[in-house]
Parts: sequence; structure tokens; C-alpha cells
Amino acid sequence: MAYHSFLLEPISCHAWNKDRTQIALCPNNHEVHIYRKDGAKWSKIHELKEHNGQVTGIDWAPESNRLVTCGTDRNAYVWTLKGNIWKPTLVILRINRAARCVKWSPKENKFAVGSGSRLISICYFEQENDWWVCKHIKKPIRSTVLSLDWHPNNVLLAAGSCDFKCRIFSAYIKEVEERPSPTPWGSKMPFGELMFESSSSCGWVHSICFSASGARVAWVSHDSTLCLADANKKMAVASLCTETLPLLAVTFITENSLVAAGHDCYPMLFTYEEGQGVLTFGGKLDVPKQSSQRGLTARERFQNLDKKASSDTANATLDTLHKNSIRHISVLAGGKANCSQFCTTGMDGGMSIWDVKVRHPHCLCPPRLR
Amino acid sequence: PLPRTGDALRAFHTALRSSPVNSKSQALKEQAQGTMLKVLTSFKSSDIEQAVNSLDRNGVDLLMKYIYKGFEKPTENSSAILLQWHEKALAVGGLGSIVRVLTARKTV
Repeated sequence: MAYHSFLLEPISCHAWNKDRTQIALCPNNHEVHIYRKDGAKWSKIHELKEHNGQVTGIDWAPESNRLVTCGTDRNAYVWTLKGNIWKPTLVILRINRAARCVKWSPKENKFAVGSGSRLISICYFEQENDWWVCKHIKKPIRSTVLSLDWHPNNVLLAAGSCDFKCRIFSAYIKEVEERPSPTPWGSKMPFGELMFESSSSCGWVHSICFSASGARVAWVSHDSTLCLADANKKMAVASLCTETLPLLAVTFITENSLVAAGHDCYPMLFTYEEGQGVLTFGGKLDVPKQSSQRGLTARERFQNLDKKASSDTANATLDTLHKNSIRHISVLAGGKANCSQFCTTGMDGGMSIWDVKVRHPHCLCPPRLR
Repeated sequence: PLPRTGDALRAFHTALRSSPVNSKSQALKEQAQGTMLKVLTSFKSSDIEQAVNSLDRNGVDLLMKYIYKGFEKPTENSSAILLQWHEKALAVGGLGSIVRVLTARKTV
């Protein structure tokens, strides 16, 4: 694994280009900075300045190479590279609260924006007017939409909200696509149709993710739980109460395994056993540094007693790679079906790349880190 | 006099099982809290770990809720024994069990 400290401030969000040579991130302000990998170092090559509020979401379309960003200024911009300059196009979202997350659809002809306006804006390009327009999905969302993920069929969209629920909607736009064929989530998919809604967990849903096939959706909530709904089992939900602090990001790395991370500052593995419909914790995926075992001086002991009411010699600093909460995970290689590499960014301003090694592809052993 | 270990453990499981978590009656909840506190304080320190290990994940979460409820309304020596329960419950349930005390919609 490799860790790079980009900033002293949190990385609000990030997105990678198709060949993983460039990363776009928001350095906790109104801008988006793009860095390019130059051997072992990272060089900043672009600064995108258009938003009037913090940039809360970035997504980079791999095929068309367009960026979409959204922010607390209630706007979204689609950015196109012209020569060596990124040119923004404003997209009117028609929302009166901050935008919180944005995702391109798999075919890159639409993108979805979740916001504090308690709705999802589905945006698509209207050829005749040379202009991005949007439609709203409102019912029955009751609070801020924190996370979104598209089903591979380009129509279904999973949304995690502060009203404690995970929902799957149809975001079918007849202007840009054919009618979708039936899926295990249902056959009739008019725009805005609610295909699935979880019963309430007790926490804001921070992150949500479809499996590669789209038959499963997983989400993490602020009550330190991880849940998974399986469309092939009549949408039965398996849930796991974790022993950790709340998780903020989750992704599938195979059809049966997930990686999640959050306020404990390290990624961890979970596996789903289809037969029993059970989620289990598969271990921590971070190798702790060897803490130095030197003794404390009398002065240090006294300082510890004064500051922490403890003369404990244990290392008070985190022995994880990230020194603060991990907010986002992205799959770098292998896709969500067979991920061999993923990336985490967090509040410590750092970005880490993790290699996954599948030990025995033919047995049910969970993958682990190299 | 302290009850025998077997009795305390049985009382413990009964109190957890009959917890009025779904009830809206404050009186009922307060009564259950009182009963649970009596059971928890009746345990010998050395028996606490075994009692905690006999619970499943939901049981540990429920126990943690009662421990914090007990902290809210301390009696003469309740906090001391509750801290011992807390230490053992934390070892099994982790910080997640405490997070769920804070986020729970259905209280004890």
C-alpha cells in the first residue's frame, strides 16, 4: 500500500480519471484541484475555480472524460477539457439547499445529485437547447440525501439519506434511453418509481453501493451498522452491528465481499454469505506500525498524568495509516466484481492506495491485503 | 445477602428478555430500569464477565443501554459496579455498542 499526504486539511471528496494517472480532489474549500502522477510524486496541474461554496462531490466519467462537481452553493458544473483548460458548464439543479453528492450514470448520459433539499436531481443533456436539464425524485425522501450509486443498467439509482433509509429509485429518462428490461428489483420502472426501501436503521446512511451485478446493495449507517439487501432473496436485508465507530464509506470488492471505512481510520473487510443471508466482519485491513518501545522520562510521565490522568506508556497516537476519519473509498482496478486495488481519502488530507490479493479465487476465503 | 450465582444469572437473562423496549409507557420503562439495576448490582464482580459472554450481539447492545441508563440515575454504590459491567460489555460490544446507545430510537 502507498500513502500520500496531499494536504493538512481534509480532502472533502475525490475522483480518478480512467487510467488512474490523475486525481481530482476538493481541498476543503470552493475549488477542485487535479493532480497528476509523475513517477513517485504528485504534481498539481489544474485548479478548477467556479463554485461559491465547498465542493461536496466530484465524479469523473471514464469514457467521455468529463468531470461533474456539486457544492454547497446549490450548483453543479459539468467540466470538459478543451486543450489544456477545463471549461465549466453550469447545471441548474433547482434546489434550495446544499448539494451533497454526485454520480455519473454508467453510460455517462445522465448524472444524479443528492442534496439537502430532500430530493435527487437527475440531470441529462437536452440536444435541442444545448443545455443540461433536470428532473426531481422527491417522494418519499424525508431528509438530506448523502450518497448515491447507479445500478449497471443505467436506470436504477440507490440513495442513502439522513432519514435513516436506503432506497432504490428508477431514474429512467425516456429522452436519452430505451425502456429498461426487468431486473430482480422489479419490472416496471417509470421515472421516480420506488423499487426498494429499507426499514429504518437508526442512523444517517453515509454511503451506499450496488454490487457489480446490481443484484445487491449495501449501505453503512451512523449507528455503526452495515446492511445488505439481496434482490435475489426477495430483497431480504442482512445487517451487522459492528464493534467499531460509524463507517462513512463502503464498496463491494467482489460480489460477496465489501470494504468499508470511517471514523476508526482504517479500512475493514466484510463478507456476505448468501445461503444464510449473513454478513460477517472479516478483519482490519491496516498493518499497524511498530510503535517504539522506549520508556518514558519522569517529565513525560508527569505530563501524561496532567493531560490524560494516566501514566500509561502506551502510544497515544494512532497506529493506522490514516490519522483521521476516512470519508471516501474508490475502486481503482478490477471493478466491483474483482477489485485488486482501492483508494481511500480522509480528514487527515491523505490519500492511500491499497492492494487486495484474492488468496483462493475458487473457495470462499475472503480476500486480504498484500 | 447476595443471591447464588445461578439465580443472579437467571434473573439477568429474564430481565433482559422482558425488557419493554417497544413500549411507550414511561412508568413501565422506569420499573424495568429499577429491576435491571437491582440485578446488575447484585452480581459479584468475578461473575460479570461470564454473564456478558453469555449474551448475543443484541443482548450486549441492550445491556449497554441499561448500563448508561443506570449511570443517568446513580444510587449509593451503583456507579462502581456499573463501571465494571461497562468494562466487560465494552470488551465484547466495542465502541459500536456505545454508538448504538446514542443513536437508538427505542429506548429502555
